[in-house]
Amino acid sequence: MMAHLSSEQIAECITGQPSRTVSEHVQDCPACGAKVASFREALGEFRGAVRAWSEDQACAVRAIPPSVAEPRSWAASHQFAWALLMAAVCIIASFVIPRRGGDAAASSDAVLLNQVDSQVSRTVPASMEPLMKLVVQK
Amino acid sequence: MQLSATSELEPAIRPDVAVLAGEFEALVRLYRPQVFRFALASLCDLDAAETVTQDCFLRAYQARERFRGDCSMHTWLMQIAVNLIRDHIRSRRFQFWRRASLTAKPVDAAGQTIADRARSPEAQALLNEQVAAIWTAAEGLPEKQRTVFLLRFVEDMDLLEIAVATGMKEGTVKTHLFRALRAVRKRLGETI
Repeated sequence: MMAHLSSEQIAECITGQPSRTVSEHVQDCPACGAKVASFREALGEFRGAVRAWSEDQACAVRAIPPSVAEPRSWAASHQFAWALLMAAVCIIASFVIPRRGGDAAASSDAVLLNQVDSQVSRTVPASMEPLMKLVVQK
Repeated sequence: MQLSATSELEPAIRPDVAVLAGEFEALVRLYRPQVFRFALASLCDLDAAETVTQDCFLRAYQARERFRGDCSMHTWLMQIAVNLIRDHIRSRRFQFWRRASLTAKPVDAAGQTIADRARSPEAQALLNEQVAAIWTAAEGLPEKQRTVFLLRFVEDMDLLEIAVATGMKEGTVKTHLFRALRAVRKRLGETI
């Protein structure tokens, strides 16, 4: 009599394609026969459980009205809201950041213009201003 | 013994004839539960399973002219479903933020089916454990092994049908199935 069945040989029995030696061994050896039977029974229960579960899920899908429906739609709307918010922030940032730079540039321009204006508006050069004061006092 | 919908209903509605006769709606009614079940078990996501099932029948309808009856309608639909599920799994890899929207698992349904039969509470608890262990093992299998395992042990397809549905050679299907069974048995080791 051959030694107990290997994992491969048990798989052969389960898939329904055992060799003659293997199927004879399963019939003769109570231990291996029990192993195969127990594995087969567990797989049968698994099949039944998956089928029952699938039917339950299908019924649940049919029972939920589309308006109330899914956590997914909630999640999707939540994601959409976040996406909108992020887009709005990006748009505002794209306007505000250059504008701040622009403000700084504009203020430095104004200072420069003031300086130019004051230089241009002088009647005499800066070095002669003390003399002009004396002339005015007289 | 529970017969599959194919063997029960095929004499009444011959799928290939139904397609040719334009009775596509009858086909959808006949095979929808099976396609949905396979998609649900493969993806563990109710929404995705619904989408895949819809897409499967849409594609079947669009390609109905090309169905030549080389395999059964069930195998053909499963072939489409296998491809859609594979595409879905690949696209889902990039959606790392997404979570499966599934609340219940087959383990929860196991108690109901087992309770229908007169078993001792201990035997029932043991079978519950076994179903849970098989499910956990199946969830952890690589994609091809899981597909082959589910087609064989949930959909009751034979190796040749699985080979057609998955586009693998029969020997490759057998190898994947043996590996899957080894992994499942390893997980069951503590209970069997």
